[in-house]
Amino acid sequence: MVAKYVMLADTTRCIDCKACEVACRAEWDTPLGHSRDWVKQVEYLNSKGMPEVQLFPGRCQHCDDAPCVEACPSGASWKREDGIVLVDDSTCSGCELCVPACPYDARWLNPVTNTISKCTFCQPRIDQGLQPACVATCVGRALIFGDANDPNSEVSRLLGEKEWQRLITDEVNIGPNHYYFTAGKAIPQEVMPKLHERHLAGKTIENIVNPLGAIGIGGMMAVFLGAGIKKLVDRRKDVSEKEGSHEQH
Amino acid sequence: MNSTKPTIKVRSKDVIFIHWFNAFFWLTLVLTGFGIISGDFVRLAPAFWPTFMQNLFGGNDSLALMHALGGMLWAGVIAVYAVLNFKRVVLPFLKNVLVLTPKAALADLSSMTITLAHLFGLLKGKKVPPQGRYNGAQRLLGTMIIACSVAIAVTGLYLFLAPIMFEFSASALFGLAFRWALVIHVAAVLLVLLGLVAHIYFAVVEEPESLETMKSGNAEVAFIKHHNPLWYEELQREGKV
Repeated sequence: MVAKYVMLADTTRCIDCKACEVACRAEWDTPLGHSRDWVKQVEYLNSKGMPEVQLFPGRCQHCDDAPCVEACPSGASWKREDGIVLVDDSTCSGCELCVPACPYDARWLNPVTNTISKCTFCQPRIDQGLQPACVATCVGRALIFGDANDPNSEVSRLLGEKEWQRLITDEVNIGPNHYYFTAGKAIPQEVMPKLHERHLAGKTIENIVNPLGAIGIGGMMAVFLGAGIKKLVDRRKDVSEKEGSHEQH
Repeated sequence: MNSTKPTIKVRSKDVIFIHWFNAFFWLTLVLTGFGIISGDFVRLAPAFWPTFMQNLFGGNDSLALMHALGGMLWAGVIAVYAVLNFKRVVLPFLKNVLVLTPKAALADLSSMTITLAHLFGLLKGKKVPPQGRYNGAQRLLGTMIIACSVAIAVTGLYLFLAPIMFEFSASALFGLAFRWALVIHVAAVLLVLLGLVAHIYFAVVEEPESLETMKSGNAEVAFIKHHNPLWYEELQREGKV
């Protein structure tokens, strides 16, 4: 069976030490001010009126129906069979059509490569049988990565043992493969996905240019197919009329 | 072509070559171009086509490179030809084919509508007004193809060169221009394809004589007299018929 890679984040074990971010930035040599992963702090007053902090390690959620892949004109954004969403640097133009499409703000234009960067679950490392850099370095063992299709994997066991949640809403439910354990606490609105948007240019192609083009070209083909059929019918009628008049003579 | 019917040379070999060169490159560039655009939100061709083309060319980067090189060859050859033959071929062609005023556009639209209606046996009482070398539909299509071809060449060059020449992260304008260049590129191609349906139908079904002219360069005098009476008069004045 093909692997199905997932990331689990136990928010109760995260201490916001930023080791995952440092490991990721070192692994991928990301430019200043840019990171492929992050830890979001959400502060709020709990039901007893006491301040509380929840920590959410985040990155690309490697969604089953990834809108970034659908928005990419060149196919540079693509999804591997094992569920990992990747960006092919040699094809990516850096047009950023995919950037607003991501509801988790996981994509950014890399100022060094001028292509789109994002978390790849450290695909070169996992292809060598290693763990992603963030997982390997996580001090509190808050991050767990593995193959959910392997019943003997740690992630399969943990997914069965605990109540995990995903960052989904009624509006945005695109099959993220990143799970969060919050010990029963509700996930705050701050980390929920935003409605995926698209650049006006992308929407123009999708909603105006392509439909009008399809209707126009289809319509023209139908019109001239009709004209051709009519011409054929008229010609057959002419021939049979001529043959009829020949027979009469 | 029937050799007993009088004909006249109306197209030189270089014009015929450029026409078929243009047609060949349009076909290959459309096939490769629809293979590049992959994302479901922006793709017009069925999903199998980008997969097939990208596999055929060993990846989308190779396919995009071939498309760009083909596009630059197409635009470059036509541009050089146009410059070298501006007075002899391009200027007379533009004078005949460009529809520049609303009045001319309305007249051409009217004659095109009557021609189309005649195909379905409609508006039988209305005659197509006498036409010059190019009829109303050809003039409208020609004007559209010229405008769209320029737009396709300019936007295509930007789509290929901008990611190589400019740092998109340095200014949001580079990416903005790229995204709108893509919109214009696709829209212009679709507009031309729309017109080409009519162009190919008329050349193959309604007026195969025109197709023959685009192969041999010769046109039957009787055909010109019947379809393009204003042009026939012009040829008469010039003593060519």
